[in-house]
Amino acid sequence: MRDGRGGIRGVLASLALGAAIGLAPAQASVAGLKVESLAAGLFYENLSRTVVWKGDTASSKIQASLITARAELGFGKGVVVGLSAGLALTDFKGLTFTSLPVSLQYDAPPLKGFCLGAEAVAPLVKLSEFEISGTGRVVYSFGMSKTWPLEGFAVEGKAAGNSSWVEASLGPRVSYLFFGRVLPYLEVSARWLGAGFEMTETLGDLAGTETKRVRGDFSFSVTLGVDATVTDRVAIKARGGILPFAGGVDSLLSLGVLYKF
Amino acid sequence: MTTPSGRIARAVTALLIVLCAGLGTSDGSLPRRQLKRAVGPSLRPPAGLRVERPRIRRRAPLYAPDRVLVRFRPDVDETYADGLLRSYGFPAVRRIPGIGVYSVRTAAGVSVTETLAMLRRNGDIELARPDYRARLADVPNDPYFLNYQYNLRNRGGILDISPDIQPQTTAGADIKATTAWDVTKGGAETIIAIVDTGVDRTHPELVSKLVSSGHDFANNDDDATDDVWHGTHVAGIAAADTNNAEGIAGVAWNCRILPVKVTDATGDGFYSWIIDGIIWAADHGADVINVSLGGNYPDPFLEDACKYAHDKGAVVVAAAGNDGIALVLYPAAYDAYVLAVAASDYNDEIADFSSFGPEVDVAAPGVWILAPAPQWYVGDGFLPYLFGSGTSMAAPHVAGLAALIKSVKPDLSVDDIMKLIRYTADDINKTAHPGRDDYAGYGRINMTRALAPYILK
Repeated sequence: MRDGRGGIRGVLASLALGAAIGLAPAQASVAGLKVESLAAGLFYENLSRTVVWKGDTASSKIQASLITARAELGFGKGVVVGLSAGLALTDFKGLTFTSLPVSLQYDAPPLKGFCLGAEAVAPLVKLSEFEISGTGRVVYSFGMSKTWPLEGFAVEGKAAGNSSWVEASLGPRVSYLFFGRVLPYLEVSARWLGAGFEMTETLGDLAGTETKRVRGDFSFSVTLGVDATVTDRVAIKARGGILPFAGGVDSLLSLGVLYKF
Repeated sequence: MTTPSGRIARAVTALLIVLCAGLGTSDGSLPRRQLKRAVGPSLRPPAGLRVERPRIRRRAPLYAPDRVLVRFRPDVDETYADGLLRSYGFPAVRRIPGIGVYSVRTAAGVSVTETLAMLRRNGDIELARPDYRARLADVPNDPYFLNYQYNLRNRGGILDISPDIQPQTTAGADIKATTAWDVTKGGAETIIAIVDTGVDRTHPELVSKLVSSGHDFANNDDDATDDVWHGTHVAGIAAADTNNAEGIAGVAWNCRILPVKVTDATGDGFYSWIIDGIIWAADHGADVINVSLGGNYPDPFLEDACKYAHDKGAVVVAAAGNDGIALVLYPAAYDAYVLAVAASDYNDEIADFSSFGPEVDVAAPGVWILAPAPQWYVGDGFLPYLFGSGTSMAAPHVAGLAALIKSVKPDLSVDDIMKLIRYTADDINKTAHPGRDDYAGYGRINMTRALAPYILK
């Protein structure tokens, strides 16, 4: 069952994105900056992060798939700001709630929710065929909630969970300008993740709530990507990366197509 | 002018340099930290930068990541089923003979969840399940565990008590202890008070488990030595020294015992001694108080003692009584403060001697339970153990479970622990009395359901 706040947030996100897309491309200005170009499109992203929830001694994965509509606003001097909104599927397999009266272990299908994102790329310096930019990105997923019946007990029971997470990244991007319409790049980013999962359990008149949190899990990623201008109007953006951690590697993948107005 | 291939080579070199520089700075940890450790403690990073992380171990997946198990509806032909599974493009399909189940390897890049969703949409398929990971349950090495302690793990077969007592037992008619021990074996900080006839303080199964010499309210001294046998037996069921390659296993392996003697040498006691014993136990750190005795008459002072212990954070567990009549003994009958325990047997049937009434909360095995006994009682030439029956033997199973719950969930209230024990029980007599009833209460306790995580699917 989806909570009402999640629905309202989703509507607000859609309105925000609609407003961004509705800006007149050449004349509109945002915060005093002149918008020189506008593009809109669809993106698919997949992200996995191995985390240790507060209080746990074992790691588990947060794995998210996002499908978003994105608007990219181009400002002067190559500064691009992207805003996105869409749907998120987040998998919390392996997460356990051991402080509840009956311990629970999450092995359910991914939770559906919404997501909002913002991304900015600003060129800093150009060296021959290379350009070094600064990039920053934040994704917020929310509105994930579900109720499960608890079966096999002497009384009726249910568990209700809701969750949200936010990930922010910041780092340099080195682009190779030689190919013109195809722009390969390498990014090295510091990444921060915060997540919360509240689980409420009711078994007859026995009840409990446990909130699991990840407060500021830091990691870093190495990403290879390419921005390809297919036609004057259509561009494809793709990137894939790894997030190494002690004992393993997480991954990220993004693929999208943009239409320039 | 450089050639395009030369430019690409230059670009790749440059990217590698950037990559190496990035790794060296953004992680900011491994190489530098190792170097600083090597050159001495004076170069340790400032305390403010230190990050303490919990010890991380990978949680093993619950099921095989590339395999599922499938069963077709009975009317589906085997050849058709084989062909259908192969038409999905699974790289390997194997039929497990006898039960008509297929072990199917998932296609590359397709998860178990996706494969199951796809298979479950097919009307010919009756059941599609993950191939769950199994592991050895924690089985103690105590020699009598395997063949005699049906109460903890009942594998079925004959319970060979003596040449003339050899009942047939039913597999699974037990309290599901072994899989619960995978979750916890209890902590030494959790104390079970045995308010009874005292405890044999020299018994090898108990000598290392006692918090102290306890207190004797019959003789008013600090020596709660058992001069019957009953308290020793009860203490051993709850928390005998386990996995010590000797004797039996207790329910709460690592929890400790506080002996409290409230009867005289004949095994009789007065309410005042029991009241004193319960209060003394609560004041001396008992997390669980087992009272495998009781009287026929209600008494407000006895009830007050139970309330006192309850309010102090102790779970009070008591035997329902062995008269087989509709009268639950006191203090077991004090429903708000005490868990009243009936006795079940090796077939998950309620023992005919077990008293009943609306106050009964749960049942636990209480027929032919093997547990320690004082050597002087069994006599020379016999091992210091005996088979005992009664709700007195049932109650310490529940006390042991309460102690295990306390060990892993110290923040749960006494009332919540009591509810958890009730609501996770197996309704063993649901055919005759579905739901809670006066004979088994909510049912025979199930340690695994009370302690192991419920898996949300």
